Amino acid sequence: MDALSDRTRRAIVERLLNGPVSVGDLARDFPVSRPAISQHLKVLKRAHLVIDRPDGTRRLYELNPAGVEALRQYFERFWSEALAQFKVAAEKRK
Amino acid sequence: MATTTVAPVRKSVSVHASAAHAFKVYTEGFDTWWPRTHHIGKAPLEKAVIELRAGGRCYGLSIDGTECDWGTVLVWDPPHRLVLAWQITHEWGYEPDLAKASEVDIRFIPEGPDMTRVELEHRHFERHGAGGESIREAVNKPDGWSGLLALFAAAAEK
Repeated sequence: MDALSDRTRRAIVERLLNGPVSVGDLARDFPVSRPAISQHLKVLKRAHLVIDRPDGTRRLYELNPAGVEALRQYFERFWSEALAQFKVAAEKRK
Repeated sequence: MATTTVAPVRKSVSVHASAAHAFKVYTEGFDTWWPRTHHIGKAPLEKAVIELRAGGRCYGLSIDGTECDWGTVLVWDPPHRLVLAWQITHEWGYEPDLAKASEVDIRFIPEGPDMTRVELEHRHFERHGAGGESIREAVNKPDGWSGLLALFAAAAEK
């Protein structure tokens, strides 16, 4: 999780929760320079948290669905365990 | 602007019990089955509680006597359906704003006189995300964790 150790990068990831953006959008919204934004995006891409794609003359950056998938996976495991315990309780106390 | 959505988690389990009994164990008997590991308070969990009405609180009672809210009953329709708001935010704290909470929808479907399928859907994870207006605030905070990102990080570290 080193990629998220920097608060600007965490804020970029939060911004991407609202949809894909260009470097220009981020530079306008954030109190940091455009080259700095590019550098942060590079780190996030290396960590597979963010993916990019061309959009006309610019590039759009968005959250890598596989990254957010980790959250789903957590709840997948959690609810499997919880419902198994629920089944035991429901079948015991009749 | 398009919002990133996260696919819901869907689970189901069939139990040898009537829908009425299954609903009762899920709600009144919540403490008998809720995993002890899943608790947002600092002290260990003494009792897990769902208040049995629409608008009721979902909370954990810690052994030190403190109560930690984590949700609200959105739909109370015994013995058919229960919908809970999952109000957990950054660093596993309580999120008072329902608009920033995900939802857990639980349906109790009779499959016979003594058999019930319980279908659970946990959805709207994206609501835990921070809104665009809080970007600067997030950047300027000493430790800008919030919303979905904190949950994501916690999940990835487990």
